[in-house]
Amino acid sequence: MPRLKSAADLEARRQEILARRDPDKPCVTICSGTGCHAYGSEKVAQAFAAEINKNGLKEKVDIRRTGCHGYCERGTIVVIFPREICYLRVKPEDVPEIIETTLVKGEVVERLLYEGEDAQRIIHEGDIPFYKHQSRIVFGPNRFIDPKSIDDYLARGGYAALAKVLSGMTPEAVLNEVNKAKLRGRGGGGFPAGIKWETTRNAPGEPKYVIVNADEGDPGAYMDRSLLEGNPHSVLEGLTIGAYAIGASQGFVYVRQEYPLAVENLNAALAQAREYGLLGKNILGSGFDFDVTVHRGAGAFVSGESSALMTAIEGRVGEPRPKYIRTAVSGLWGKPSNLNNVETWATVPLIIDKGAEWFSGIGTKGSKGTKIFSLVGKVANTGLVEVPMGMTLREIIYDIGGGIPKGKKFKAVQTGGPSGGVIPESLIDTPVDFDELTKVGSMMGSGGMIVMDEDNCMVDVARYFLNFLAEESCGQCVPCREGIYQMLKILNRICAGEGRSGDIELLEEIAEVVRDASLCALGATAPNPVLSTIKYFRDEYRAHVEEKRCPAGVCKELISYYIDPEKCQACLLCLRNCPVEAISGGKGLIHVIDQGKCTKCGACFEVCPSRFEAVVKLSGVPVPEPVAAGTEVKRKRGGKSE
Amino acid sequence: MAKRKTKSTFIGLKVTSEQAETLAHLQKALNSPTKTEVLLRGLELLASSALPPTPPPAQPTPRAAPPLATSLELSQIEAEARHYLDTLEQTKNRSEEVMKQMVQELAKIDQTVDKYHGDRNCLIQILLDVQRENRWLPRDALMWVSEKLDIPLSQIYHIATFYKAFSLVPQGRHSVAVCTGTACHVRGAPRLLEKVTDTLKVRPGETSSDLRFSLSTVNCLGCCALGPVMVVDDEYHSNPSTEEMEKIFSACE
Repeated sequence: MPRLKSAADLEARRQEILARRDPDKPCVTICSGTGCHAYGSEKVAQAFAAEINKNGLKEKVDIRRTGCHGYCERGTIVVIFPREICYLRVKPEDVPEIIETTLVKGEVVERLLYEGEDAQRIIHEGDIPFYKHQSRIVFGPNRFIDPKSIDDYLARGGYAALAKVLSGMTPEAVLNEVNKAKLRGRGGGGFPAGIKWETTRNAPGEPKYVIVNADEGDPGAYMDRSLLEGNPHSVLEGLTIGAYAIGASQGFVYVRQEYPLAVENLNAALAQAREYGLLGKNILGSGFDFDVTVHRGAGAFVSGESSALMTAIEGRVGEPRPKYIRTAVSGLWGKPSNLNNVETWATVPLIIDKGAEWFSGIGTKGSKGTKIFSLVGKVANTGLVEVPMGMTLREIIYDIGGGIPKGKKFKAVQTGGPSGGVIPESLIDTPVDFDELTKVGSMMGSGGMIVMDEDNCMVDVARYFLNFLAEESCGQCVPCREGIYQMLKILNRICAGEGRSGDIELLEEIAEVVRDASLCALGATAPNPVLSTIKYFRDEYRAHVEEKRCPAGVCKELISYYIDPEKCQACLLCLRNCPVEAISGGKGLIHVIDQGKCTKCGACFEVCPSRFEAVVKLSGVPVPEPVAAGTEVKRKRGGKSE
Repeated sequence: MAKRKTKSTFIGLKVTSEQAETLAHLQKALNSPTKTEVLLRGLELLASSALPPTPPPAQPTPRAAPPLATSLELSQIEAEARHYLDTLEQTKNRSEEVMKQMVQELAKIDQTVDKYHGDRNCLIQILLDVQRENRWLPRDALMWVSEKLDIPLSQIYHIATFYKAFSLVPQGRHSVAVCTGTACHVRGAPRLLEKVTDTLKVRPGETSSDLRFSLSTVNCLGCCALGPVMVVDDEYHSNPSTEEMEKIFSACE
């Protein structure tokens, strides 16, 4: 492949690719994102390849492994173009039927389609409620692209924005466009990208660097991963445009080594971009030089902080430093360095391509464009969703997410990861934008959205995040190192039923110090999970401290399992599943838990059939006296007794 | 002393119980207090060629028949001495092998360092590659990296202990990871982790003594729809039951 020497070359190459492709030729796309991969998408893809060969369709059908489609709940997802027939939960054994019915006969396999309300089947991916309410401008192209093929990206208009920039825009014009679009950083803070770029551009010192922050550390967020794995060229294109505007000639991608597929696809994309002349010397004949190095992060949450990340790239321990001077001015090796998150960079080509006006037409006054969230936890449709800023939490959780499964009640949603907070049901109509979320005591963060139902204990959630942060604190500054640890200690004792009066107030006091006196954002935002849970669920804290009761039935030391003798049908299930043999009884005899032996593992509660619901969790009340050993069960009416 | 006989070793050499008995007799006969001296005396005799060139085939030693014939005594000593020399040779060969292996391993590190052009800024990348190759960071490897890049070992240990990807102890043949990301947590990851810990009898961050399993916790694997999730050697398992878990583990050798 000869290097592309001009914007015209690129366009010619694109036309050549499109001319080679028949839009009517059936193409089977198989989602191979991390979620679907875990479901076994590779086996499905191999089954398609084998069956297509067997049926002599090799020349007539294309197969494409794409990036994440987002609807992780129903993986493996298979979409067959050009008709866009979307099959969900596809297993390798379904493949022969799909080929026979859809590819040979041209009909659809009803049972693999999405089943909407009134048992109506939905054929097209875009019509499924999960997708219908989204605006997938950044994440959407994933489903058309094989991440390892630059041609796929070019066929969809890829690198056109870069060509536009290099062939006719001054760096100032690019900056102006990004400023006008009011693009804010998608990594959490929401700092205006244009201002940051300008700062780096104007800062003294050469060379300047541009960096992609792909150290997505929030537990429960994986949108950056899916973007980098599924559409690496979009990130590279954005980065190159940024480098041009800022005047940088060297870029870095800091990506977690825990994301091996992202590293692999990124390296493949870099090699292809270099081969095509979209990276390297004299890009598209413009005289602009730029190249990118991949740096794998070795696993430290705090290294996602800008100054820490840059120290890590230098090959040292990734610890933050005080930022009297911002990294935009003095970052990597003391040079001006501009750091943005994966999603921010991937949004840049769209702004250039479609214009700042188009972009700022989406979203709210203060937050423009769309945001990708990972909608996870107790929600019917787990997956990655991209919505315009300003959509309410209710719309996201209910219209897109399909509400809470198993008929449970919504309790709260956690946004912003360990730096964010929980938002209770009373505030579910809060529009999602940077400022609104901060106002209610949480934050946008990188976009984790963890839905919780009535079975989740808020004290436990706060403890979970503090435990995470205590492990991840680098330990340089006292407020963070000691403050988080002390808060965790208090939460641990509250959860263990040893809470003392005044503990809640003490938590608030320590939280204030940690927030105000910590060196970096890890510490400064660490109290958020504690403060927001206390703010909205103070009663739950009180129940733990004063009544030694966990209303959600989560904190082990505060609950007991008990078998209701009226309901027990002596099915032996719990008795057999108890790992410590704490349950006595037998065939036809009421089962009884020996509270002394019980380790509260919950195995009995899990296996007790829902039609009996005999095993119950008790909290805050004494366990009733057990029935005498050997008492026979009371059969339910209609049960097959005698 | 009597107990040692049954162990059938003579200064670290494996000997049959009859040989051991003979040697014990010799020790008495030579009036030597230590076994080492018995051997040294034997070697002395060998060196002064006071012995026939080839020893007679090993003969059963008559029990409880002191004093022994001198030639028999000597041939026994010679046999032992030869055995000792053989062992010495074997040890030498073995240590050469170990050295060779070590050199090969260090050569691999050289390759890795060369891959990054010996750039000291790439220390973390180099360590990641060494970690992937060995599944842990052996001390020799770190010392060699320190030597090659001219970075103090203390600084390398600072990095190796700071980042979670590195392990300073050998890892098991099979890696078991339980996701403790938030989504998995609210869906019951703590209970799953407890089950895994109970089944494997290994705590998170530890390796079983037979080096079969290493258990770790991870923060979000990006497959939240499957949560709570356990990963065994890159195979994902969504909330496995106790029986399923036992099946999965027993399939790991």
